[in-house]
Amino acid sequence: MLPGEFDRSKLTRGLMLKLGMLGIAGGIASLFVLVMLAFVLSAWFGRPLEIFSVFGFNEGPTQPIAFPHDVHVNKIGLDCTFCHRTVTEKPAASVPSVGLCMTCHKALGGDKEGVQQLRQYYSAGQPIDWIRVHRVPDHVRFVHEAHIRFFSGEKNVVNRITNSSTQITIENALKIDPNVREGETISVAASQVCSTCHGDVASMPKVKQIRPLKMADCVNCHRDNNAPTDCTTCHY
Amino acid sequence: MKISRRRFLKLFGGSVTAAAIFQACGIPERELIVQSPLEMPEDMVSGTDNWYATLSPGEAVSSGIVVRVMEGRAKKIEGNSDYPINQGKHNVVAESGLQGLYHPDRISSPRIRRGNRGEDKWDEISWTDALSRVSESMTNLKKSSGVVLVTEPLSSNLNLVVNKFVSKFNVKHVQYELIEKTNLRWAVKKVFKQDRIPDFDIENSDYVISFGADFLNTWNSPLRYSRGYSNFREQSTGSGRGTLIYVGSHLSLTAANADKWIYVIPGSEGILAYAISYVLLDKYESDVKVSDEKTWLKVLSQYAPSKVKELTGLSESEIEELAKGLVKHKRPLVLGGGSVGAYTNGMQNLEAIYMLNVLLGNVGQKGGVIFNPTPPILKGFPDHLSDYANFAHMRELGSSAKSGEVEILLLRGVNPVYGVPGFKTCLSEIPLIVSFSGIMDDSAMMADIILPENHYLEDWGSDIPNPGPGYPTIGFQQPVVRPFFEKRGIHLGTKSFPDVIMALAEIQNIDLGLNASNYENVLRNFVDELFKLKRGSIKANNSRDFWNGVLQRGGWWDVDDRVVNYELGSIPVPTKLASARFSGNVDTYPFYLVPFELGSLTDGRGAHLPWLQATPDPITTVTWATWIEINLNKAKELGIKEGDVIKVKSEYGEIEAFAYPHPGVSPDVLAIPIGQGHESGDRYSSARGANVLSILSPATDEESGAWAWASTRVSISLTGNNSPLSKFENIAPDLSVDEGGHIIKITSGE
Repeated sequence: MLPGEFDRSKLTRGLMLKLGMLGIAGGIASLFVLVMLAFVLSAWFGRPLEIFSVFGFNEGPTQPIAFPHDVHVNKIGLDCTFCHRTVTEKPAASVPSVGLCMTCHKALGGDKEGVQQLRQYYSAGQPIDWIRVHRVPDHVRFVHEAHIRFFSGEKNVVNRITNSSTQITIENALKIDPNVREGETISVAASQVCSTCHGDVASMPKVKQIRPLKMADCVNCHRDNNAPTDCTTCHY
Repeated sequence: MKISRRRFLKLFGGSVTAAAIFQACGIPERELIVQSPLEMPEDMVSGTDNWYATLSPGEAVSSGIVVRVMEGRAKKIEGNSDYPINQGKHNVVAESGLQGLYHPDRISSPRIRRGNRGEDKWDEISWTDALSRVSESMTNLKKSSGVVLVTEPLSSNLNLVVNKFVSKFNVKHVQYELIEKTNLRWAVKKVFKQDRIPDFDIENSDYVISFGADFLNTWNSPLRYSRGYSNFREQSTGSGRGTLIYVGSHLSLTAANADKWIYVIPGSEGILAYAISYVLLDKYESDVKVSDEKTWLKVLSQYAPSKVKELTGLSESEIEELAKGLVKHKRPLVLGGGSVGAYTNGMQNLEAIYMLNVLLGNVGQKGGVIFNPTPPILKGFPDHLSDYANFAHMRELGSSAKSGEVEILLLRGVNPVYGVPGFKTCLSEIPLIVSFSGIMDDSAMMADIILPENHYLEDWGSDIPNPGPGYPTIGFQQPVVRPFFEKRGIHLGTKSFPDVIMALAEIQNIDLGLNASNYENVLRNFVDELFKLKRGSIKANNSRDFWNGVLQRGGWWDVDDRVVNYELGSIPVPTKLASARFSGNVDTYPFYLVPFELGSLTDGRGAHLPWLQATPDPITTVTWATWIEINLNKAKELGIKEGDVIKVKSEYGEIEAFAYPHPGVSPDVLAIPIGQGHESGDRYSSARGANVLSILSPATDEESGAWAWASTRVSISLTGNNSPLSKFENIAPDLSVDEGGHIIKITSGE
């Protein structure tokens, strides 16, 4: 049968069946293309959509030791800056040395697999090569210190921000202190700023990136907070 | 169900795209690592880098480098854009400093030999123990002059410290370099009456003839000349692209870059230079400068082109062409070195070659030979002695060692067991050999006590480059990281060589008269003197700021202090050139053996660094091996293919290496690179390749006593073995085809 040659009078059952199958196949293909587009575009502009996490996207990379932040932060109560110590002083937040981990784990941790692996690294004199989760390209210079400095300290709790360097919205303030009220002053610690960009790492058994961290993301936040949006702020 | 082609292609394309997307999504896991160091004080982590200026010691001349340091670890070496010699350029030797600093086989503490020499069995001892042993041996000498210190040619403050040491301790100091510059220095002294090697203004020249000087790769100050070479070719100053002619027996990198490579019979390059001089005086008298023209012509008439055809292998017209090129260009320049200066008449060759510059009147002119002024404050440390003959002194040392006159041999920065054939046999009569080497090289293997010194990235120092850039330059070296073995405590680890010397003096209660407690303070005293001069590149109000400025820039120089007096006085009339003598008669040993240096391994000192081993030779692209360059047709005639293991035999020994037939070598020449074949203790250099130096004739230069390392004749024989050569070229043909041009499929062969 040639394409385009559709003779109504000759419409047989077999033909209808073929047409139906063609339609279904076409529908599946289009759906497939749409899904791929959704995936590719969402990944390109931000992160792959949540619906794809079923396939393993959006999960953080597998680390050499399965370090659980939820155990160390939520359960034990360690502060972010206990390990990531240079976040208030230097551009990089830094990961702790193996020696720091061992200050506790040379005695604590029992026979958990992760702790055993850690002890093996230390006794073999091996540094741990973590897989980086958050990364901006080399032409972008991101300085943690400035951002922590901006968001932490004494802030007035307001409904609507007029001066973002001294104020904090009531929604964000409630996350820190559920009893705070508008008009009061709240003290924001350095570690309470981290989740703005890194999300709720405290509950993550495996760290993953939750914000796209593309330039639009950065510039939008800079704009909203009256921070400089000049090119040389980050590209120098 | 039937499926149309169009439909099939759509689906196919779609699924391939999907597969690519699925594959590509996400950053490959190993690409980005953030490392938890084992132990780290939190205040050291910054995510920011610091760059420190220091020097990278070269075989001839040090280059200025800046080193990127992060958290106390050296990460990258780049050229120092301020340093006059290299002005921001650097080479693979400078890069490899990082591997030297973090080498797994670095010696991390003083050692004393256990077992016999050469067995590489050691016990670790503390510095206190090691120094007291050496000190005791020096006190208990039977002869007062039985101690010999061999170092590489020293300059500046290290030379000062060593000079004080040798004079107060009555030590004999021998300065040794494997590829010695003796003939060059003597020729420079004779022709230009200069103590320091001049700077060659290649960038402003428009016609350069290089007789054997591979100045782009290995000769003298290759970074400086390469820098000049780029301008030489571009000639933004207006006289058009410069022309480079290379005369020599080996297709070096410079020869490959030249507009013309002229091969003359080895040893006759000086004759060619005189032939060119004759043509200049005969045909172009108005363009040449010489006072006593008639006498010159008379003496040089025996070198007229018609008379030297057989000696050089060049026709009259070719010789005249060269002379014509020299006068037709406004700023000609002639260089000579390498194997041309390493025959038995090497010095005379170089004299004839550099004399051409005098005739052409380019001395002191733009694009010509620029003299280097004496740097300030040299009192107390004369350096790079212009009349020194290194090999002759080593020979003398060898024979006095054999006759039992040497009681203690101190070796620093030199590897004579590798570089001086037969030196190893002279060691048996020496009761104590002390090596300062930081890596187990051939000479350290034969030592009794090792006092390992710091790597240069961990050390203080200063250097006066010779040749300089035409004005006084003093480079400064500073530690960019803490000594790597500091973690082993103060009794172990490495120490700075001059600090050890000063410690020895202290143990013996001898005042070296340096007015300093350690070498860093010696340098500070020196910089204080420099500050008082109130001139030069560093401007400061007080000596402390001056010191900081010197370290930040990587050195001190004075671009305004140049030689103005280019009066050469009376130029000696050339005397008859002796002909080059070669070992072995031509029937038994039909080939000229031309050893050559690689830009990576240089004189063999780079063999323990894998980056240098893996750097391909620019001409052959071979790595990690010793090869024999043999003429393509000659190889075919003898039934030699690439990779065949060939035995090369001279009157003095034999080696085996891989054949590399190629068209750029004369049928009567074999060219073999220097640098491999070490009997050392580190994992990268030991048991690799062959040491061509071991089969060279010990003949010396008739005038200077320098080693004539290009004066050996050899024969070859096949061993029947073959192994693929580790090289980059031609290892991946796009598609293998048979004679019909059909693509052959490669299967596993099973």
